Amino acid sequence: MTAYFDTLTERLRAHGLPAADIDGIVADLSAYTAESGADPEEEFGPVDDFARRLTPKEDNDGPEMETETWRWTADAFHERARLNEFGDQGWEVERVDAFGHFISHRDRARPQRWEYLRTTAGRDRPPAAEGWEHCGNWMIFDYYKRPKSAMLGPAGELPAPPTASSGRVFWSKRFYLWIGGYLVLLIVLLTGVLGPSGPTIAISLLVTVAVMVLWVIVGQRRARNREG
Amino acid sequence: MPADRRASWLKGVLDLLVLATLTEGESYGYEIAKTLADAGFGQIKGGTLYPVLNRLEEAGLVVAEFRVADRGPGRRYYRLTDQGRRTLAEQSELWLVFDESVRTILSKEAGR
Repeated sequence: MTAYFDTLTERLRAHGLPAADIDGIVADLSAYTAESGADPEEEFGPVDDFARRLTPKEDNDGPEMETETWRWTADAFHERARLNEFGDQGWEVERVDAFGHFISHRDRARPQRWEYLRTTAGRDRPPAAEGWEHCGNWMIFDYYKRPKSAMLGPAGELPAPPTASSGRVFWSKRFYLWIGGYLVLLIVLLTGVLGPSGPTIAISLLVTVAVMVLWVIVGQRRARNREG
Repeated sequence: MPADRRASWLKGVLDLLVLATLTEGESYGYEIAKTLADAGFGQIKGGTLYPVLNRLEEAGLVVAEFRVADRGPGRRYYRLTDQGRRTLAEQSELWLVFDESVRTILSKEAGR
């Protein structure tokens, strides 16, 4: 056995391949080079690379390593600005899920910059001939994307993807104000209808709703962790 | 068989197909995607097509010109260069030889 196959055996062992599989692979490759007379390094390439390619786990991880996936959401007051900001960082929205999350991915090797449009569902569809593609729908909104290369050519690509944001939820100040205003209105209305006990009932209702929302969020997070 | 096998096949030949769509004259992204879809390759998404067009442009195999449209912001029109035409001819020949070899083996298997 040559030094190449000795090293290959070590590398495959380090990658966690079962000993019996390693013996079979190395015996097979040795027989191959013995018959062909080829130099193993020339035939199979650098030993570290070859060991990686022979390891199923590494093989399966390949495509995932090339593409990053990110699930995030933002409120309707500023999601267009966020979409275009993240689109400029190479994130392409693949779809919008039922909870309003933008399921996005980014090509690590050759990231494209993307721009986005939002229209009222079923209306004002931007022209496909100009590169717009439908990428999702949520409630009354349709979302469209276009690679910036459609207008800029190679300048529409990123030289390298910037660090991905660690956040997943982007609420705007206007959204918090809107929620606050809505709650105040609810309390005022309930006080008007139910008298002095209105605020207590309103707060009880709000706490119940908050607990339910929290329960849904935790459930989703657990489901995602199980998937991951 | 992996579900994305067609996608893998396409990956290896998409640049040639894009060049081939330009042999009869200039075209733009959406029209190229439509030509390929009509030829049976399925819908080629912008995220797949434009990186290929960019690579071809950077390699000098196509040149692009941005033209403002009467309505809307306009489009980039792509045209084959002489180098692109030569590359297409050379690479098409190689692909056809490869295709023939695949057919030879697969038709033997199918005949068994």
